[in-house]
Amino acid sequence: MKKVVAALAVGAAVLAFGVAEAKEWKKVRIGTEGAYAPWNATDASGKLIGFEIDLGNDLCKRMKVECEFVAQDWDGIIPALQQGKYDAIMSAMTITDERQKVLTFTIPYGTEPSSFITDKKSPLASMPKTDILDIETPAGKKAIEDLAKALNGKTIGVQTSTTQLAFLEKHLPKLSVRTYDKVDNAGIDLAAGRVDAVIGDRSVVEAILKEDSAGNIVMFGPNLVRGVLGEGMGLGLRKQDTDLKAMLDKAIAEATKDGTVSKLSNQHFGYDISIKQ
Amino acid sequence: MLDLLSFGPGGWGWQILAGLGMTVAVAVAAFALGVVFGSLGAAAKLGGNVVLRGVAEVYTTVVRGVPELLVIYLLFFGGSAMVVAVARVFGYGGEVSLNAFTIGVVAVGLISGSYSTEVIRGAVQSVPHGQLEAARACGMGRWLILRRILVPQTLRYALPGLGNIWQLTLKDTSLVSVTALAEIMRVAQLGAGSTRQPFLFYTTAAVLYLLLTTVSTAAFDRAERHTMRGVRRT
Repeated sequence: MKKVVAALAVGAAVLAFGVAEAKEWKKVRIGTEGAYAPWNATDASGKLIGFEIDLGNDLCKRMKVECEFVAQDWDGIIPALQQGKYDAIMSAMTITDERQKVLTFTIPYGTEPSSFITDKKSPLASMPKTDILDIETPAGKKAIEDLAKALNGKTIGVQTSTTQLAFLEKHLPKLSVRTYDKVDNAGIDLAAGRVDAVIGDRSVVEAILKEDSAGNIVMFGPNLVRGVLGEGMGLGLRKQDTDLKAMLDKAIAEATKDGTVSKLSNQHFGYDISIKQ
Repeated sequence: MLDLLSFGPGGWGWQILAGLGMTVAVAVAAFALGVVFGSLGAAAKLGGNVVLRGVAEVYTTVVRGVPELLVIYLLFFGGSAMVVAVARVFGYGGEVSLNAFTIGVVAVGLISGSYSTEVIRGAVQSVPHGQLEAARACGMGRWLILRRILVPQTLRYALPGLGNIWQLTLKDTSLVSVTALAEIMRVAQLGAGSTRQPFLFYTTAAVLYLLLTTVSTAAFDRAERHTMRGVRRT
């Protein structure tokens, strides 16, 4: 009887604390959705492709580990990580406080910038387009000041409950803001002249530009990231895998620095989503 | 646009076809498992054993009472967590994961079985009691009664209901797509997200499901006619 109790106690302890494995990473399995082009997608033969697949393979090469991508539906992507179906999530997952309660994130490897569009006849159209700017840096703050001046007295359209709305409220509080259920509808009002400019995710406003076959709408001003706009996309890891986080952080920093992230990004998105420190 | 569905290079034809095969495989296996569960459940509910009856009652109440998607989540995430926990107690430290096909079949089979239980129970009760008494009076044993009297007639009463459950089961397999098993729904989602042509892929999926249900309804009609051959008026 005592032996049984002891065995059960050991079993319970193992369950409670997890197996203390100082395992050396030889192979890293990465879970991705495979249906969020161009971040990650599946080609016609069923192979996973996309920006994150190429970047992930590059990161693994830097860490000198073998890499395997595993497709997982978005709905179960976090539980399956915790069950050990794979070791990391790389699926255009934005780093948020909510997710940080259950996951550890690496440093971000990319971010969807927020961009502005306006009518080509508007004086705003002449405002120069910039590279991606971190709004917490001096250059980013300067860009916001310029925006505040240029947009003074004008109305801007934005999708409701987005990071862009939070950005306008925090950094450009004096602007007159009109909210929409979708960025596309803000775009329609821009074409109709009811708002002077629209802010949204770059990929979404680019889609509006593409729809506008007459070419009346143009992009202007800075491409902004970070701060209230979100910390960008990182790999999600199990909380206990701090060694893997250290390895990945280093690899991401290197890949960002030597331009690999920019190169892959230009190749898949047509613009640079890397986060320059 | 339609060349996305072709079988040539850049076409999703083979993947969609494989998805169709996977859907049929999961549906057939789950339905068969469901009929087994259903027969056991019905036997337990109709038998004299109070404990077995209670178990069957809990089974049908719980599984029919919670959403199908939830049952699949519980099995997919809870199922392998349970297996991992048990394995760890026995000293196995690695990761265990049940394969998505097994989990899909068991989950959909459980759901299908809970409905089948009631259909089969109802069908058994529809067999006139007098026939069973008559069979016993003729000196037939239990197994002979089961084989000659009960099963053929239960089948006749149960088939329309089971045909209904087959359609439900077939459609429930789409929920298994959350486990990333590449059946029709999952392939459609992948295609929609990867090519930015959601309408094309989801319409294709709808047509395929419709095709499957139409063909199988015809098959069930034939089977019903076959079981009715003893009582049909011509």
